Amino acid sequence: MTHPQGGIYERLRRSARNPIVRKNVAVLMTGKMIGVGAVLMLIHWFSGTAAFAADPAPDPVASVNAINTMWTLIAAFLVFGMQVGFVMLEAGFARERESVNILVEGIADTCICGVFFWAIGFAFMFEDGNGFIGTHGFLLQGLPDTYGATGVPLLAFWVFQFAFADTASTITSGAMVGRCGFVGDLLYSVGVTGFIYPIIGHWAWGPDGWLVAKGFHDFAGSTVVHTIGGTISLAGALALGPRLGRVFKRDGGGPMLPHNVIFGATGGLILWFGWYGFNPGSTLSALDVQGIGRVSFNTTMAACTGGLGALFISYARTRKWELGLVTNGFLGGLVAITCPCYWVSPTGAAIIGLVAAFVVIWGLDLLEYVRIDDPIGAVPVHMMAGIWGTLSLGLFATGEFGAPTPLGADVSAPLAGLLYGGGMDLLIAQAIGSAAVTVTVFVIAMVLMYAVKATGTLRISEAGEIEGLDRHEHGISAYPEFVTHAAGPILSHGVGTMPGRR
Amino acid sequence: MKLVLAYINPFKLEEVRDAVKATGASGMSVTNVEGFGRQTGHTETYRGAEYDVSFTPKLRIEILVSDSMTPAVVSAIETSARSGSIGDGKIAVMPLDDVIRIRTGERGEEAI
Repeated sequence: MTHPQGGIYERLRRSARNPIVRKNVAVLMTGKMIGVGAVLMLIHWFSGTAAFAADPAPDPVASVNAINTMWTLIAAFLVFGMQVGFVMLEAGFARERESVNILVEGIADTCICGVFFWAIGFAFMFEDGNGFIGTHGFLLQGLPDTYGATGVPLLAFWVFQFAFADTASTITSGAMVGRCGFVGDLLYSVGVTGFIYPIIGHWAWGPDGWLVAKGFHDFAGSTVVHTIGGTISLAGALALGPRLGRVFKRDGGGPMLPHNVIFGATGGLILWFGWYGFNPGSTLSALDVQGIGRVSFNTTMAACTGGLGALFISYARTRKWELGLVTNGFLGGLVAITCPCYWVSPTGAAIIGLVAAFVVIWGLDLLEYVRIDDPIGAVPVHMMAGIWGTLSLGLFATGEFGAPTPLGADVSAPLAGLLYGGGMDLLIAQAIGSAAVTVTVFVIAMVLMYAVKATGTLRISEAGEIEGLDRHEHGISAYPEFVTHAAGPILSHGVGTMPGRR
Repeated sequence: MKLVLAYINPFKLEEVRDAVKATGASGMSVTNVEGFGRQTGHTETYRGAEYDVSFTPKLRIEILVSDSMTPAVVSAIETSARSGSIGDGKIAVMPLDDVIRIRTGERGEEAI
């Protein structure tokens, strides 16, 4: 019988010599020390916060409103997340052979947008000038620390607006999928994010825009973002013509099949999620608490009725509950509610979304009938539902809500639409704004697209299109392992191989 | 009875199917294949490295036909699959010993 203490001592000695045990003990002890450190840090932080709460330090920049800045930035990050939704939606609803191209374009357009919106776009759109264009603040030089009276730092406001501009830019590529050359895409993207979007946007959102003076209202951009993006996309589709082999319904064909409907629909849902930054964030004010709640609700409701509407229309037509149409339906509802979301009631939002479902589906039919190849439905969803949403404000504005301010809602000048006893004034202002923007953008975009076409870069060569945009322009297919590879990388003109690769 | 075996460009499938249908052939099977002939593969690029993909995607079509129908089917494929450039593919015709329709047990030309 061994002595118990001697046994323990023996075991400790043995264990201490065993490298595995030594390592385990070291890991355990390090973990414990990190944990204790974290707890001490938390205590330190909380006591620090408590001290501040008891003795508030003077605000160094009185005009900056911290909570509004947080709100605007959170919204900006959500809106940026819509890029993920867009590339997934577009790639999923396109053919496999053009999906890498969609991803490269989405990323490149984002980068182009950042640079150009910093250099010229923001100045054109959001700074003083005349009714048609802003003329100050190029490269954001010489501007105050906060934007206007928002209490939001200029650079935070820029990030929010950059995400919007980027959205318009990506929408543009939608109807041009599958046959637009990459260089052509780079060229027209500069035109879109550097010039068309910011200059036309200035009319509605600039401090002295002429549409603002006319009483035109576009809360979060049914017109400014979606109609502009969708209209440029339509011009692009017209300048390009349909993809090779696209046969339209009246000629006995139909849309080309998508390559991954799961990507398409999840991309759509990510867009819906991002819309919670797009619309509620457009208050730029977290202190308008009723406002952000109402906008979030209305955004949700229009998406729901838009989706349901499209779902039942699809079933009535084909006896199938179609994934592609329900996705485009809720997106149409979201686009439509983007303009009126601040000023309408829940009932109004539900009706606006439902009507948008019809607009989107009839829009798809119309494009098919006039033989325009819009692979993912960008024109009906963004341009047409955007026009409907803009007009709907003139019908459904309840006459209760005015505008958000940094410290709360301002109801001194409420908007009232035709159905709520406001008369025709608002509806006329909305119609003028929507028509002016749509027509001008369409004309300018046609000029831009034909100018790019004249350089020979807008449409890919026929051989390239048969080979597929992905392989031709980007050198890889979306799922490279599905192709049988004989060898690895060519190390020097075809002699090298990489073992282990199929 | 013959087995008509054709290797065609994938983007020609619709035209070939319509042409074959128009001859009155009773059916056809299609398989995705990859291979090389005079048209060698292409390269893919990933992170700056080039990969030699030696095989080009094609479709293989199999059609069971009676002797009398064979020339019509072959010429239908020949004209519909032709684009005039390298890689249009090939057609092979092979004799068949027998054809059996599994459901009914019919044999020979009746089963085609």
